[in-house]
Amino acid sequence: MSYVLTTLTKKKEIDSIIRDTIDKVLVLRFGRASDPGCLHLDDLLSKSAREVSKFANIALVDIDSEDVQVYIKYFDISLIPSTIFFFNAHHMKMDSGTADHTKWIGAFHTKQDFIDVVEAIFRGAMKGKMIVNCPLPQERIPKYQLLYKDL
Amino acid sequence: MNAMNEKKINNNKKKCEFEFCKVCNLNHDKGHRHKYFPNHKKSLSAFLSRFQSKLADIRFFLKNPSVLRPEHASRNRFWCVFCDADIDEISSSFACANAINHLASEDHVKNLKHFLWKYGGEMNHMDAYRILEADVAKWEKNCKSLVNEAAPSNDRSNMLQVGPSNDIRNELKNKNINDFENCTFDPIKSNLSNGVMPLHYFTNEYQISHSGLSADTNVGPFVHDAIFSIPADAWISNDLAVDWNSQQPLPYKNLISSSDLSYRGVSQGYQGGGMVNGVTSSQGSHNITQTSATPPKKAGGNVHTGGPPPWFEATEENHLSAELKPISSSFISLSNKPGKKLNPKRVGAAWAERRKIELEMEKRGEIVKSDCDDNWLPNFGRVWQSGSRKESRKEFEKEKQKLPKVESHSEMPLKIKPYISKRMRRDASESE
Repeated sequence: MSYVLTTLTKKKEIDSIIRDTIDKVLVLRFGRASDPGCLHLDDLLSKSAREVSKFANIALVDIDSEDVQVYIKYFDISLIPSTIFFFNAHHMKMDSGTADHTKWIGAFHTKQDFIDVVEAIFRGAMKGKMIVNCPLPQERIPKYQLLYKDL
Repeated sequence: MNAMNEKKINNNKKKCEFEFCKVCNLNHDKGHRHKYFPNHKKSLSAFLSRFQSKLADIRFFLKNPSVLRPEHASRNRFWCVFCDADIDEISSSFACANAINHLASEDHVKNLKHFLWKYGGEMNHMDAYRILEADVAKWEKNCKSLVNEAAPSNDRSNMLQVGPSNDIRNELKNKNINDFENCTFDPIKSNLSNGVMPLHYFTNEYQISHSGLSADTNVGPFVHDAIFSIPADAWISNDLAVDWNSQQPLPYKNLISSSDLSYRGVSQGYQGGGMVNGVTSSQGSHNITQTSATPPKKAGGNVHTGGPPPWFEATEENHLSAELKPISSSFISLSNKPGKKLNPKRVGAAWAERRKIELEMEKRGEIVKSDCDDNWLPNFGRVWQSGSRKESRKEFEKEKQKLPKVESHSEMPLKIKPYISKRMRRDASESE
């Protein structure tokens, strides 16, 4: 999968990709390549990378790398795979009925679901919204339990 | 002005119901206007030329009637597009008899007129789509004489039949199915026995014409593969009066030919061997069309001279320096300063504009003061925070700062000592 998508291991790389992706949605997947959930998501991402290429950039972040730990803390990543969306260096939130609106946790059921999500983010961002609603029906959204803060 | 507007409004008020255009194979609600649209005209000419080629085959049998054997009859169907009817040859004794009779009938002419009215064909060419009664009479006479001939000598009739019946089968089949491999027809034999299909060109002429074609600039006559059955050519030739010796361009509708490296596209109308829209070439691969030979541009440069690609041209429109607020910190406040092309209210518009300018400056080689230090973090709306995203970042940084302080306190009392290996330590302790 990583021959299609770039894998980032350094904070500087993440910084530069966030700053340099202009007017396109930046999809950052945080996970590790060996995890099956991440593998599933990576597969979907790499297959749809070309289709969304006009309005989205996709990159993978390896959470096992040292440099990246600050981002893991900053973004509060506790479950993988976690996908965070940026637009013009602004973080985009999505309300999908789950507890955490700041990121997408888990994989997608189909390529089309992913594309729909990215499209919703793009449309919202182009209108000036920083939080968008999730276009997927509830059964297609992976559910999870968030660990509460300070536990 | 007002009168014109009113007229326009009136015209647009007419709403037509959906109709199906069988030429374009689509439904439209433009009513009678549809037939004047260029797309329709194109489809119409293709449609009619396809039908023409089928008619050409029937005309061949009009001029050269031959007996139709019953086992071949079931294969010879003909669909008349004007009447929307299938015409089969089950009960006919001569090739295409039913078709010929149909094409001469009054009903067919009526339908033809209606079709031309509805779909806008040219009325003067009407005769191309029907058979005149005089011709039918002639044909019937010929048929009768054939029957009389056939009675005395069966062998001869068999020979007579071999050619044409094979022709029908091959010709009608090949029209719709692209297999000219089934051409069991032996051109030389049939030519000699029938006398109805003279060779329209000699084989050496064919070769010469092919070798000459690459040199010629304006080769009109269509090039076809040698596989094509000769009867097919003959029928087309009959229809269009080819003069092979003259190498002049055929008055053929959709033939494409260009200069030098000619792209020989065979149009839809030509279905003799079942090749539709194929690129045929005899020697090598002459599938290339030469673009118009413009003089080489020197100003811009190209890939070979190492000029800049056109998409790198700096867009002047993004230089909105006058409009942008001076920003001290490197982080974007959520300001909605207008961009020019994209929605100015989009998320991060100001950031995007600034960043684009920065990138362009970098490309040009100017050193841009990079606001990105090692501790830069994007504004992130954290999970459990309330308040704006900038605040969350500040919160995070505070948390970050707390941690190292705690660590450094514990580290302070540690003194840095040189490393002593275990052995040394052991020795030291033993010695003690």
